[in-house]
Amino acid sequence: MSSRSSGAYDIRAEMVANVLSIQVAVGEQVSFGQQVLLLESMKMEIPVLSDAVGAVLEIAVSPGDVVQEGDLLIRVS
Amino acid sequence: MSDTNSQLVGVVGFASLTVRVADTAVALGSGDVPVLGTPRVVGLAEAACVAALLDCLAPEQTSVGTRIEIDHLGSSEVGAVLRASAGVLSVAGSKLIFEIEVHDGSRLIAQGLITRVVVDRLSFLAKAAGQSRTE
Repeated sequence: MSSRSSGAYDIRAEMVANVLSIQVAVGEQVSFGQQVLLLESMKMEIPVLSDAVGAVLEIAVSPGDVVQEGDLLIRVS
Repeated sequence: MSDTNSQLVGVVGFASLTVRVADTAVALGSGDVPVLGTPRVVGLAEAACVAALLDCLAPEQTSVGTRIEIDHLGSSEVGAVLRASAGVLSVAGSKLIFEIEVHDGSRLIAQGLITRVVVDRLSFLAKAAGQSRTE
């Protein structure tokens, strides 16, 4: 799940999940299809892939957080 | 209790479980892997709901489960210590909706909503017995 807002690209949670790990840092360049996050939901580890190319502007979650469907995970420029 | 139902919003109960072999999906028949079975998660969450109402209902009353909406997020192995919490989120007449969470240590493994209805214990049992006889 993703959306555009004022020049930024928001990567959002598709379902309720635990945040297991984060593979990028603020300022880092990400490419299309690059794994940016690892979630746990429905007893599976679910990699979150970037569907944008740009720099990471914001990481809205931390490992151990619980996210709900639609929550912002990462904002890419 | 109907006059005071709204006062139940925010009431919380807890239940805990150390996962045994008997709690696994294999043992419960709900799967073929030796990890905590989802039906046991549901049972634990319902136990937390029942605990929440322990001191809230009249002696002749009880509550029965009517709807389960739970996301089972993470797996748990035998020996894991689980803690479930259930809080009354809303009340509509005799219908109570609980918000539940189950943690394995600090890890959230399940969350969702459980609906229970407050009934008169004897009337409910009598009706259930009558229905069973006619089927």
